[in-house]
Amino acid sequence: MTAPHAEQLIAGYLARLADAGAELPREQRNELIEDMRSHIAEARSRESGDETDASVLNILDRLGEPGVVVAEARDRLGVQAIPAYRPGILEIAAVVLLPLIWPIGVILLWISPAWKTRDKLIGTLLPPGGYPALFWLGAAVAVTNGEGVGCSGVGVNGQPIQFSCSGPPAWQMALGTVVAIVLLILPLVTAGYLAVRLRWGRQGAARPA
Amino acid sequence: MRRGALEYCVLALMRDTPRYAFDLIDALGKTGMLTTEGTLYPLLSRLRRDGLVKTEWRESTDGPPRRYYELTAEGRRALNAFRTEWTAFRAAVDGILQEAKKS
Repeated sequence: MTAPHAEQLIAGYLARLADAGAELPREQRNELIEDMRSHIAEARSRESGDETDASVLNILDRLGEPGVVVAEARDRLGVQAIPAYRPGILEIAAVVLLPLIWPIGVILLWISPAWKTRDKLIGTLLPPGGYPALFWLGAAVAVTNGEGVGCSGVGVNGQPIQFSCSGPPAWQMALGTVVAIVLLILPLVTAGYLAVRLRWGRQGAARPA
Repeated sequence: MRRGALEYCVLALMRDTPRYAFDLIDALGKTGMLTTEGTLYPLLSRLRRDGLVKTEWRESTDGPPRRYYELTAEGRRALNAFRTEWTAFRAAVDGILQEAKKS
């Protein structure tokens, strides 16, 4: 008998612990997770006979539900959850202005405590400048491409003049269209992403009492 | 009450020799003092933060490294103070229980 899912089970348990411990101060949460990790390693090394998924589950069961352990940690360490930060006008303005008036949107984004740094970076960099920057980028691309278009008119024997134009090759046009669509959608996607992160991040941080 | 006494039981277990967490869990588990093993770790963390114990990692011959917990002078004082208090408390409770039995 073997334990084909041992690593998965343990990783899942530790992930749930990290999740439940999100409200603990980072240092204490990390310590708790490290303690649990070495406990599990010790317990596994003590198991007599072949390790099975069941024996791993028993180890985790004896450790206790992550929520229970975290509640104990909160009590023992005197950690109180501080009232959750409620997103308001500031966050709405940030999400709306980010694609439209990028500099102001970015400032609001970084002022707000409602997002984590990672989300703020995503909001800032995808895409930098928002729609105004895209507009200027688009204009610049159009001008560059325009220069590459050559037309020649040939009049033959008094026939109407025929023009033949050589634009960019078709694949370039297609690629350009795809890129343009992505660039147009991206600010909206980013704004939507930030709005979603706002909702999920409501539980707020915690501090030692 | 059990919860309050648990931390002193943990300190008492370390009185003579440094112990590692699993060792403590074994000892406490036998007495029924600890039902959820994981809850020992926040307790140990608290004792360490309060300066009642200090810790040291040591290699183990038959498994991963272990973090050993050892009483500090302050931890020893706290344990002795608790012992005095507990003895008086137990005597008082015993006295009352005996009285109640007689009447």
